[in-house]
Amino acid sequence: MADLLQLILSGTATGAIYALCALGFTLLWQASGTINFAQGEFVMIPAFVMLFFINTAGLPLWVAFLLTCLVAMLLIATLGLSIGVKQLVKAGVTAQAMPFESPFPDGLLALGAMKVSYADVGTLLLAGLIVVGLQLFLNRTVTGRAMQAVAQNTDAAKVLGINVQRMVLYTFLINAVLAVVAALLVTPTYLAKFDMGESIGLKAFYAAIIGGFNQTRGALLGGVLVGVLENLMGAYVSPAYKEGVALMLFLIVIIFRPEGLLGKTEERKV
Amino acid sequence: MTAEKIIEFDKVVAGYSPSLTILNELSLDARKAEITLLIGPNGAGKSTVLKTLFGMLVPRLGEVRFEGKRVNGKSQRELLADGIAFVPQGRNLFGSLSVRHNLELGGITLPRGELSGRIEEVLARFPRIRERIDNQASTMSGGEQKQLEVGRALLLHPRVLLIDEPSIGLSPKLVQEVMTLLRQLADGGTTVLMVEQNVRTALKYANRALVLEMGRLALDRPASELLNDPDLNRLFLGGHVQKNVA
Repeated sequence: MADLLQLILSGTATGAIYALCALGFTLLWQASGTINFAQGEFVMIPAFVMLFFINTAGLPLWVAFLLTCLVAMLLIATLGLSIGVKQLVKAGVTAQAMPFESPFPDGLLALGAMKVSYADVGTLLLAGLIVVGLQLFLNRTVTGRAMQAVAQNTDAAKVLGINVQRMVLYTFLINAVLAVVAALLVTPTYLAKFDMGESIGLKAFYAAIIGGFNQTRGALLGGVLVGVLENLMGAYVSPAYKEGVALMLFLIVIIFRPEGLLGKTEERKV
Repeated sequence: MTAEKIIEFDKVVAGYSPSLTILNELSLDARKAEITLLIGPNGAGKSTVLKTLFGMLVPRLGEVRFEGKRVNGKSQRELLADGIAFVPQGRNLFGSLSVRHNLELGGITLPRGELSGRIEEVLARFPRIRERIDNQASTMSGGEQKQLEVGRALLLHPRVLLIDEPSIGLSPKLVQEVMTLLRQLADGGTTVLMVEQNVRTALKYANRALVLEMGRLALDRPASELLNDPDLNRLFLGGHVQKNVA
């Protein structure tokens, strides 16, 4: 039983990272109607930027994190990124996997019979904090509600004088910060590599669809579900199937509930 | 005495793409503190008039004037600040947000200090909205939603209210209520420019009726005269009208 709980907890921690990335997908979709297929690269780039600040500039991790948030907001919000960025990093930086310092201490935390790594606990807490903060911002502030209004009905938002372009820009900025946090959490495990974005980007995309592309809470559910099931599949069936879990779940959801587990059917006038 | 012209279209050409012209050198006006009703067959350009006036379409030619000043290409925020508000066709609420938050967004261009007072004014006018203030907007009935949309537009104390098909989806009783509300607004000094398919009912409340045909003004008559016109059905079912612009 302790093993199962341990696997679920550590899977939830991995899933929380997918969820952060998937949240970016859903926020951008809702605010601007675009699907950002370079979302994985949005995670990879901050990993390398943080490495630059830590290794070359000699800055501590938390300073590197804050500076990377600024850089990511500028890069992602103003320029956008394309799949070509992956090849640029490979050719211009390194094709090798680079080690990355974990923001959390090594070691295990004993919770009764269960032993959980500090990294998993820290990941869950940080991701949880980000998600709760984001929900509070979206629901408790006028700007957050205006962003929701733009996502739900852009034309009606314009009619009220809501600055739609600014709300879309805010969405890109939030997505940039989500990507940096995801990079901070995922890179110590997966290492900084030019193609690290492929896997996380694809899984986050599946997670967003599984949960419901038009619901931020759907992205959370999808992310956690993929993370937990991957862990259980790896432990109880075979590690060989672990990478296919997200795709299988995605196919099942698409066939039986195409709007996603928490998604709402949208009607569009054509 | 003829009321002052507050909105003027002067040979306006506009459409949704360069190859799709809807307004065809259209000239018309709406007068202060009156309800001006735009009617005509589908595709005549009625809703396009409202969208062009509210800056959602930029005229390719001609001039749109508000209180004598050109407003072609002005943004929605600028037009709201000038005193023009728009209630488009269909459902325009943000369903997942509460009624209160929908109202707040209607006053997003107002200074923070003024908003709560304005919301209180709207709630005083619409007691049903007050009862539902903390409910999700999507849980309201069609009539309540339309009241909320109109109330949200009134937050800014507009001098001109543009309203597109307010009766869609409403029961006859609710249509009467909405029309009565528009009449009260006009009597209080607000200019109302309305597109409405429910022509007979709308004519009872309007001052003037403008019949559009192929993006041009085909007829400009007092609403009461048109209401008694035996050819009324033909006018908005697509039959050609004899040119009779006042």
